[in-house]
Amino acid sequence: MKDTMEPCRVIEPELVALAGGEASAAGAARVEAHVARCGSCRDALSRYRELEGELGELRATAPPGADPTLARAELAQRLADLRSRLVGYGVYPSPLGPILIARSELGVSMVEYLEPGTDPRRAGLGKLAGTDAVEAREVTEPLYRDVLDYLAGRRTDLGWPLDLRWTRSDFQRQVLEATARLPYGAVTSYAGIAREIGQPHATRAVAQALRHNPVPIVVPCHRVIGSSGALTGYAGKRVDLKRQLLAVEGVRADARIDRAAMYVRYLHESAYCMPTCGALPTEPLSNLTLFGRRERAEAAGLVPCSDCRPDLHPLPPI
Amino acid sequence: MGSEMDDDGFEAIMTAHHAEIHRYLARVTARSTDADDLSQETFLRAYRAWRGLPADANRRAWLFTIATNLCKNHFRGESRRRRALAAAVHEAAREASSWPESEALAREAHARVERVVATLPFKQRLAFVMRKLHGLEYDEIGANLECSGESARAHVFQALKKIRRGLDELAPAQTEPVR
Repeated sequence: MKDTMEPCRVIEPELVALAGGEASAAGAARVEAHVARCGSCRDALSRYRELEGELGELRATAPPGADPTLARAELAQRLADLRSRLVGYGVYPSPLGPILIARSELGVSMVEYLEPGTDPRRAGLGKLAGTDAVEAREVTEPLYRDVLDYLAGRRTDLGWPLDLRWTRSDFQRQVLEATARLPYGAVTSYAGIAREIGQPHATRAVAQALRHNPVPIVVPCHRVIGSSGALTGYAGKRVDLKRQLLAVEGVRADARIDRAAMYVRYLHESAYCMPTCGALPTEPLSNLTLFGRRERAEAAGLVPCSDCRPDLHPLPPI
Repeated sequence: MGSEMDDDGFEAIMTAHHAEIHRYLARVTARSTDADDLSQETFLRAYRAWRGLPADANRRAWLFTIATNLCKNHFRGESRRRRALAAAVHEAAREASSWPESEALAREAHARVERVVATLPFKQRLAFVMRKLHGLEYDEIGANLECSGESARAHVFQALKKIRRGLDELAPAQTEPVR
């Protein structure tokens, strides 16, 4: 049974549009002409207009019981929590192959060499337990540009704040910090780092700690080599990357570095020497820091040894 | 590099839009506790992505999109939706009965509309609230509901039609004695 009060079906959308202020001029004219002769539509139009009035008031009021104040305060807390867990990452091409750079609000938390086609979430990011990783090129892009400058030799220090909350132990953190102090263009041995942190017998543990360095390049574990001068490992089996990074810094290496072709600093002396100075040729590598170039030793704040005078008799350039 | 992680911009987004998104969610879920949670979730999701947003993006419309998607997930499954609505209508009625009489009179008109809105089918309710209470464009609404702007307009029309009829049915209380 048709309700006699119902408006005509064909015109109703236009009634609604007119009441809501959305009708075209032609539509409005059609409605005006129609309601002039149709009582139920006239009636419906006025009810739609009333309803629009109600909606206007409703727009200005919150629904019953809904107060956003508490939710907003709680949101501030949840947001602070999210910020502390959030790690933004980007994957970029580089001369060393695709690399992933990730940072939190505190600093850079991960640099990783990716095999082409690796899903970054399945790679190292998964090791950052409790984090929430999102792709965020806008915060990692400037870091990427720094890396490119570094790899092109235009920059010797990345100078990034680091977020090392995901290191495995205090020991690993000490190893990373000691490694980070190695000057640009210098190399030492795992045993040297062990000695540096006051645990001279922990050579293997140092090597393990650096194997799991979450931020290679930034913490320059490529500057740490075996006691024999062999490059040993890097990023799994990527010794080629280690060689490339050392070459950028002026350190030449094939399977091993050539001690006889490098300047030497003994322990914490303030001078650097020729490799032949005094008893240096027989010193274990763990007591030495080696430099491929004089400028690098001097940039690290060292002065030429007054006995062997590396400034007067430099090594032949490599 | 500190400046790149600055969150002032996001604070501004929250200040500008949280209350409105909360209100939107309270209406479409018809439960204020759901609105609390979903509005927070909306902004947490937004935070994860807002830096990648183009400079000229309409942030308000974008937040409505996130909120609407969360809402759809929240109410996935017709049975759950019905249960939630039944509870909400019950709650609204209980709240209404606890209002002081003068206030009740003033609020009655609003409350009747709210009650009918709460019984609308889900998509119509979303479309109606976005259009008539928050003034979003039909195209934006269509994008949020995965339909055309024209379909969004049709949803809003159907909603208004039902609300008008619903109010007509509630109105006789004034003309007929209640038993």
